[in-house]
Amino acid sequence: MIESVLRATLLGLQLGVTLALVAAGLTLIFGMMDVINFAHGALYMFGAYFGLLVAETLGSFWLALVIAPLIVGLIGAGIEVLSLRPLYGRNPLYHILLTFGIAIMVQGIVVQVWGARSRRIPAPELLTGSVSIGPVTYPIYWLFVLVLSTVLIGAIWIAIERSDLGILMRASAHDTEMVDALGIDVKRVFTGVFVFGAVLAAVAGVLLGASRSVHPGMGFGVIIEAFVIVVIGGLGSFKGAIYAALLIGLVIAYGALIAPALTDLFIFGLMAAVLIVKPSGLFGATEAA
Amino acid sequence: MSRRDVDEVATRGRGSAAVSSGISRRRYLRTSALLGATGGLAGCLGGADDALTVGFILPFTGVYSLLGESIVNGFEMYVDEQGGEIAGQEVETVSRDTEADTNTGVSAARELLVESGADVLVGPVSSAVAIAMMQTVENESSAIWLNANAGDYRIVQDGCLPYHFRTSFNDWQTSAPLAPWVYENVADNVVITYADYAFGDNSRRFFGEAFEEAGGTVVDEIPVPLGTDDFSPYMGDIEGSGAEAVYSFFAGSDAVNYVTQFHEFGLDQSMTQTGSGFLLSEDTLPAQGQAALGKFSLLHYTSTDESERNQEFARSYADAHDTRPNVYACQGYDSAQAFELAVEEGDTDPDAMAEALRGAEIDSPRGSFQFHPETNDPVQNMYVREVVEGSDGPENRVVETLDDVELPTWGCSVN
Repeated sequence: MIESVLRATLLGLQLGVTLALVAAGLTLIFGMMDVINFAHGALYMFGAYFGLLVAETLGSFWLALVIAPLIVGLIGAGIEVLSLRPLYGRNPLYHILLTFGIAIMVQGIVVQVWGARSRRIPAPELLTGSVSIGPVTYPIYWLFVLVLSTVLIGAIWIAIERSDLGILMRASAHDTEMVDALGIDVKRVFTGVFVFGAVLAAVAGVLLGASRSVHPGMGFGVIIEAFVIVVIGGLGSFKGAIYAALLIGLVIAYGALIAPALTDLFIFGLMAAVLIVKPSGLFGATEAA
Repeated sequence: MSRRDVDEVATRGRGSAAVSSGISRRRYLRTSALLGATGGLAGCLGGADDALTVGFILPFTGVYSLLGESIVNGFEMYVDEQGGEIAGQEVETVSRDTEADTNTGVSAARELLVESGADVLVGPVSSAVAIAMMQTVENESSAIWLNANAGDYRIVQDGCLPYHFRTSFNDWQTSAPLAPWVYENVADNVVITYADYAFGDNSRRFFGEAFEEAGGTVVDEIPVPLGTDDFSPYMGDIEGSGAEAVYSFFAGSDAVNYVTQFHEFGLDQSMTQTGSGFLLSEDTLPAQGQAALGKFSLLHYTSTDESERNQEFARSYADAHDTRPNVYACQGYDSAQAFELAVEEGDTDPDAMAEALRGAEIDSPRGSFQFHPETNDPVQNMYVREVVEGSDGPENRVVETLDDVELPTWGCSVN
């Protein structure tokens, strides 16, 4: 019993921090640009597939972990500049349709290029095998994902709270016109944030691509969880996304322990409960910044 | 009457009929598969009047697209081997993309039968789609139905259609016959893990019943939601069950996740993994890699099987598609063989075709099989395979052949 709970907790935390990597970008992009980015899951999937490509051609997981997110970052820049930028300030429906279309296109591209078969990024030799944590046997690779994701999320948190860039980002989100009036190119800040979100999603894609299967449906699977997290945490709130991601990770893990068939019910039940009590989400702005 | 005349098709076609003559068969197949996804295309209007019409009712998009594509590849390959003809007649194909949606399945079946005047339906992949189609096929009674994948036993139990012939398998076949083998060769107690949907649940039940009948004990049953990425919460339950062996039904990406995580959590050291053949198949083994080694599974087709018939099939398939044939390709290929047999005897009359196939034998790459005279399910060899290190990575090797496994009929008698 203790063993199951400990194992579920470890899994829940690991799932939570990796989901946080995906949700962080989603919430920042919404917070700053008011864009509901349905293509975010597609970028996560692109991360996994480019990771697969790099890992197979160069034979190194570590290079995949660095190169694939950079490629996806470039693609993110292309998407932001060429398709989103002309639509800022319009009805949000434009963005939803656009990014949803991009997500479908990416899925089509993946099926054409890599086929529909499930694949896997080979995990590095160094991280194979498992260790004993108390009574639980736990794969080393999963621990690595937990630690690396935690470090990344922690670093981003500090950067957003403390660095000048973080202040600029928060300011741009808070009052775009004022920042623009101060002579800062908000357009470039927007592109930067979109690319940053794409890179984080791709890192998550590569990390999970070695412990889960990589397949053309994975983008749509993760985007639902990520949206639930962003809604629970409060739209646009980075801090909220992190807390909500950990919460959802643990709900999924404990849910599997108690009633596997009801996991989705727990997740959406939690979302409903949060929205009833606090319609703007846990850390959502109370309205009109 | 199987073929509807041109006027009738035109009036029923809601203006969506397309001219298909003058386009090469292969190209047409591809185009129609694409157009099928967006709907609105019907085949036989203006086509050569003596051509046979094949209606593919398969997923070409979504999670099952690989399966649909493989079935078409297999079917096409056989037709190509016959010089592009079936029983000396030209072949036209019309495709409808069913995805995995039951509503699409019903309307697609109706369109293929009524508007395209299909002489045969090939597909579907999903049992839910197949169950939804049954009524339409029975009402129209205008074509035979070669079920190239959907394995739910209820298609036979509830449908029991004279026009329905399974060129694939049923869910009893890929689970129950393994039970006595596991009891005799592996362990006398098992824990069962399965994907929690109809097919997984049927497999669990059939294996469990057969295993207890053989004298074994089912220690625990662990359902896992379909499409689970992280199996680790279940690994503790599997280990904690204390069973010596595991029987599982998972397929596709679930199978990849389950098998690799089973290995990563070190369960290989204390338990033997067994399962249906979909757990360890051509489409999952490359991703499962070393984690698949030493695991046993049961299926009616194994691409590495050394029979001459299969070697020849596997070689020409690899030449055409640059990959080993999977079980779905074999099922598509055999559907074409069955169709030819039916046409040779019954031309395009559905009753005569069905009569010709009942009890007939098909010389398949899987080893020849026969349609059960009561249910039209395939009576075939089942192969127990072990995953071993092959020349290009892990592959299945047959360790025992269960000859012409007898089938339950679930009260069905098509005559």
